[in-house]
Amino acid sequence: MAVSRLPAAALSLKQFLQRQKVLGLYRDLLRNIRKIPQESDRRYLRDWAREEFKRNKSETDQDVVRMMVTQAQNHLEDLRKSLALAGC
Amino acid sequence: MASRALAHCMRSVARASARLNHGNMLTRSACAPLASNQRALSAVSRGQRTRWIDLVRISGPSVHLCRRYGDLPPLTLENIQDRVMYVLKLYDKISPDKLQTSSHFMKDLGLDSLDQVEIIMAMEDEFGFEIPDAEAEKLMTPEEIVKYIADKKDVYE
Repeated sequence: MAVSRLPAAALSLKQFLQRQKVLGLYRDLLRNIRKIPQESDRRYLRDWAREEFKRNKSETDQDVVRMMVTQAQNHLEDLRKSLALAGC
Repeated sequence: MASRALAHCMRSVARASARLNHGNMLTRSACAPLASNQRALSAVSRGQRTRWIDLVRISGPSVHLCRRYGDLPPLTLENIQDRVMYVLKLYDKISPDKLQTSSHFMKDLGLDSLDQVEIIMAMEDEFGFEIPDAEAEKLMTPEEIVKYIADKKDVYE
């Protein structure tokens, strides 16, 4: 009962929640990018988002990860606001 | 004012239909739904209506009204599977020769969770309905995706 059956590579709860948050952010970003009217802009932003997320994929420092998550949330908010203003 | 506009529309409809020489059935059935909207009209326009219904007594072959609806072809399990595999083959990170319905995205095809999110978004685009986050992250093989879509779209075999 006291022995943990989880493998060593399993994430802690905090890491697991953070991973879920990052994936949710990526999904929200992609969903909002879908609403952009121009196809070329859409492709550009999709590639940009993919690049950003993939580049920092292997980051392990929790503070850095948290900072990047906040940055992504700000980008998402900007995108959402611009889309709302543009009326899409 | 709205009733006057409506009466004017009806008069022009009657004129157009008289011109086109439609069958008796058509004008009768066209007038029937219009008639239900006329209850709010004043007596004057009601009088006018009865006048031009007499005018529009048309001879000729009666035309059957046929309703048509637009829709996509019905989904079958095979159809869903073909479309899922097609979308996956188009994805640039998957080599089409290694792809099978049972290939796990992460274990067999070497994709990561970000790619899996992209794949599920592509499926949403293809089939036109949203897949919520909680269920999307569990779909790890093409077979599971097919099963999920068939489940959501009520496709039985």
